Amino acid sequence: MEKLSAKSDPIYLGEAIVKKALAVMIQHNLVKFQASERNNNVAEYSMMHHNVYCLIRYPKYLYMIKRIYGTSEEILLEILLNLGQASASNVIFHSANRLNEANDSEVLSPSALHQSFQRLAQDNFIIRCPKLAENATLLKVPTLEIEEKEKFAVPNVEIEPIARMLKEKATQLGGHCDSEIIWRVNHERFDIELRNVILVNAAARRVDTTAGELYHLILKLWRESSNPDSPATTPVSYNVIKDAVRKNDSSPILLEHFDHYLRVLHEDSAGLIDKPGDAGGGQFNLDYSKVFENLACASLDSIVLERFGSKALRLFRLTRIQKFMEQDQMQNVAMIPAKEAKMFTYKLLEHNFLQIKELKKGTSNFAPVKSFILYHVDLPQVVRTVLEASYKGLFNAMVRQMHDLTENKRLLEKHAMLESMLERLKGDDGVPEEEIAELSDTMHPAEKSLVEKIHLMSDNLTLGQTQADETILILESYLKFKSKEL
Amino acid sequence: MALKVVIKKEKVDDARPRQSARDDDKTEIEARILELLRKYPKGINDKILETHMPNLDIQIRVDVINDLLTKKKMKLFQAPGTNELFWGLNEQPVSIKLKEVDKEENVVMRIIEEAGNKGILNKDIRDQSGLNLTTINKILKALEGKNLIKSVLSISVAKIKVYMLFDLQPDRSVTGGSWYTDGEFESELVDIVNQQCYRMLQQKAEAAKLKAMDGPLIVRNASFLSSKEICQMISDMNIVKFNLTVEEIEAILETLVYDGKIEMRMVSDGDERIKTYRIVETLLSSAAIVRIPCGVCPVIVKCGTAGEVQPKNCVYYDQWLD
Repeated sequence: MEKLSAKSDPIYLGEAIVKKALAVMIQHNLVKFQASERNNNVAEYSMMHHNVYCLIRYPKYLYMIKRIYGTSEEILLEILLNLGQASASNVIFHSANRLNEANDSEVLSPSALHQSFQRLAQDNFIIRCPKLAENATLLKVPTLEIEEKEKFAVPNVEIEPIARMLKEKATQLGGHCDSEIIWRVNHERFDIELRNVILVNAAARRVDTTAGELYHLILKLWRESSNPDSPATTPVSYNVIKDAVRKNDSSPILLEHFDHYLRVLHEDSAGLIDKPGDAGGGQFNLDYSKVFENLACASLDSIVLERFGSKALRLFRLTRIQKFMEQDQMQNVAMIPAKEAKMFTYKLLEHNFLQIKELKKGTSNFAPVKSFILYHVDLPQVVRTVLEASYKGLFNAMVRQMHDLTENKRLLEKHAMLESMLERLKGDDGVPEEEIAELSDTMHPAEKSLVEKIHLMSDNLTLGQTQADETILILESYLKFKSKEL
Repeated sequence: MALKVVIKKEKVDDARPRQSARDDDKTEIEARILELLRKYPKGINDKILETHMPNLDIQIRVDVINDLLTKKKMKLFQAPGTNELFWGLNEQPVSIKLKEVDKEENVVMRIIEEAGNKGILNKDIRDQSGLNLTTINKILKALEGKNLIKSVLSISVAKIKVYMLFDLQPDRSVTGGSWYTDGEFESELVDIVNQQCYRMLQQKAEAAKLKAMDGPLIVRNASFLSSKEICQMISDMNIVKFNLTVEEIEAILETLVYDGKIEMRMVSDGDERIKTYRIVETLLSSAAIVRIPCGVCPVIVKCGTAGEVQPKNCVYYDQWLD
């Protein structure tokens, strides 16, 4: 929390600009404010780190919503992400505009969009922002609050004014009845959804795709009944799961072998389903800390394998599973020749994947005391190291992308201008072919291929950032649930 | 007419009649004691000796017994229950060897013999016998030449030779079992057996998948193989010249478990619990971060916005983006 506009600071921007910047960031849920502890009349601004980080996940959000619901919900979400915080009517209005621009033939009715909006709110993907407290106008720094039950309640939206504005092709919706009720994207819900994707994929790999389907259903049941912050879900009984499967119109194999699938998933060593009791035919829940520990270990294993090789992986897993090992034991159990085993052990030690614990043996006061040297894996520490390296990797990908784009900025701008001019000309009829050809020749084909290559590189880097984000999600979740369990 | 047979009597030295009588007696008594020992293989004690040879003078008996002990034809031991002293017949014809070598070699031989199956180090022989290095080396060479002892490369003490009797089989702790030849760890053999086991489990899993219509439990249970079955299949394949024991196969399978490729489950089969194994998939196909160069970069720690290692001019990125 810092004051940013002192005249003596090296980045003096001017108070007006600072205020505007803060306002934009608050609008987009990146910064929050509260009254300072020392002086109630001054506001202090702090950054919401997680929300800033989630900026990189916006494309994933859109893809998920599109997959779960459909295009209209996707557009609603996109508009909401662009606006930061907006009222329901506003979002619906702008989405309708966008959809109408896309398909000129049909005009989408705002009431359909209203229903889509309600669906998103029901599943908690969007959440209401806190509103001004009652006595807020009296204070210099207003406080914001919201009640639990109001968080996802969609107000009545008047459709007719919106429809009227759409017909008039207005660009802004004027005053409307629910302008005081503002919505934003619920990042925690999307995090849960991203985690669920990883878990379902793991289940499908371990058993088969039908098991993945079953697991997806069970995850939904757990989410509906549990508190999102608790380290383990509330147990769900066998009968409830069976009902859900039957209602869901799943594949016939699942219905036929439902018992077996449940049992195989439960007995799997990854801890995908836990059985804390037998009431109601069997109670099943999910212990996040255990399952994410296994996932984090799988990530670490994969990293060790790619960086150092399969023999190093064997030593790493051996030490992790057996907790404490001596050098000689390691090379005997792992059946790796002594020299190689030593080399890999020291490599892993150097990169902080293994840690050393020394225990002294012998109590002689005169002779030099020999000691046991035990190797072990301190999992939270290793995960934190790798997490830092992943953040760095993500940052590097972004820096590289920025660098590539700015280096070739002139070329890319020229290309973009050319493309837009060509499009406009193609739109107008009656322009002779030669003019178009001449225009496109102003750019050398080598330059064109270079531009393509740059676009390709940029796309690869974006994909790379997404990949880094996935690993970061798993490792962060592990650390989060580990600290909750303690 | 028969020739007159003249029996020449040996000239007996009359001057010492008692000595020869005693000698004769002694050999006779020795023979009788040995006979008794053979008759009672579990051992005889003083009482039995007395009952069988009541006329024996104690001094003579003691002499004879001492003789037999030094000649190693009989040995002294304690009965386990009563701690009473017993005499027993010593089966090993060590005395034959002793006739051929001289005293120092005797000492060395005895030390090596005591070491039995596990063999003994050069240094230990020196400590126990008190002889010096050159003498010992000479004796060892002589004994090896006569094929009485042999040297075996021990794995535990890093390629140092260990000596033991010629006809003894060296203990497993010395040679390291089937995975070591001549003190060298055979990593290729281990790798080959490793891959074979993995392939067998893969085949079993694929065969099990064909039963997918019966449900996942059937598929899973059908993909297990017990360690005994794997051992049998490996032996049938004749990859190795000698037979591998179940313990050795289990050691190989354990390394596969630590590779994360298979999992182990204990199943009770009648009275005993046996280990069964099957292939498992990892939870993630690969950690997503390894798909970008930074995930596997060896100099990630040194990377930054300024300096030698930067993302802007990173060699790994250049290669990856091409």
